[in-house]
Amino acid sequence: MRFNPFAWAKLKFLCHAGDSEIGGFGITSRDDLLLVEDFVTVKQSTTAISVKFDDVAVAEFFEDQVDADRMPEQFARIWLHTHPGDCPNPSSTDEVTFARVFGNCDWAIMFILARGGQTYCRLRFNSGPGGSMNIPVAVDFYTSFAASDHTAWQKEHKRNVTIEPLVPRNRLLAQSDDWDLVEDPFANEVEALLEDDMFEFEVESWEDDQCRI
Amino acid sequence: MRILFINNDGAGFADHIEIESNMPVAKFFAQKLPHGRPEDYLIRVNRQPVSRDQILREGDRVTITPRKIEGAIVS
Repeated sequence: MRFNPFAWAKLKFLCHAGDSEIGGFGITSRDDLLLVEDFVTVKQSTTAISVKFDDVAVAEFFEDQVDADRMPEQFARIWLHTHPGDCPNPSSTDEVTFARVFGNCDWAIMFILARGGQTYCRLRFNSGPGGSMNIPVAVDFYTSFAASDHTAWQKEHKRNVTIEPLVPRNRLLAQSDDWDLVEDPFANEVEALLEDDMFEFEVESWEDDQCRI
Repeated sequence: MRILFINNDGAGFADHIEIESNMPVAKFFAQKLPHGRPEDYLIRVNRQPVSRDQILREGDRVTITPRKIEGAIVS
């Protein structure tokens, strides 16, 4: 699969536009379905480790693309999203989505860009016996392409990408005034340890300058 | 009766088709996506979500698009 420089630059820009994953669809020309000419986002809810498209926004995206005289194979077959860190390998959530949403298409591609720059690209097809394979990715500088537009891309990010905070694992919610540990699954365990005469521990004296940076 | 139908399954489709008159949305979905589970799709007519028993009309624009497109670094 190839990106033209415009699409690649936009994907890279949006990958780093906020502290969250992002996702969208690759737009290709009618003549070359493996040449991504644009990367388009839809409204989505994201965190540092996840991205979820708004269902109505996906429907609107389909309608708008058809109105722009594109066929579904040009705008709805290449699903792109980003990962934090350096690992672009798909998670089980990614695999479930790819199978459920794109598994009935004649073909589809799952592309993942890690923030560190690593990529993952897998083509899945249902023709003949069906199958899937990782395919190479390149940026094709020999194609014609538009100039980058950071202002417009930033506006698109602001318009479509909602970044949600991560939910604390043990639900020690910041709103809680009394820091009640009832919902901490280890709270009782810690309490039992502290009451156990056989459990010894020392409290080291705390120096004020240990808090300073 | 002629309607515009848009969906992404199979080869993908965005074109006018002929269907029988007074067809409810549920029957249309079952005909076009026999393998599909309705809860996995957003079904809209003329850009509005509809109930399964809504009757399709001449010139309607029916869009069946995937729901719950999500990715995550952890499962």
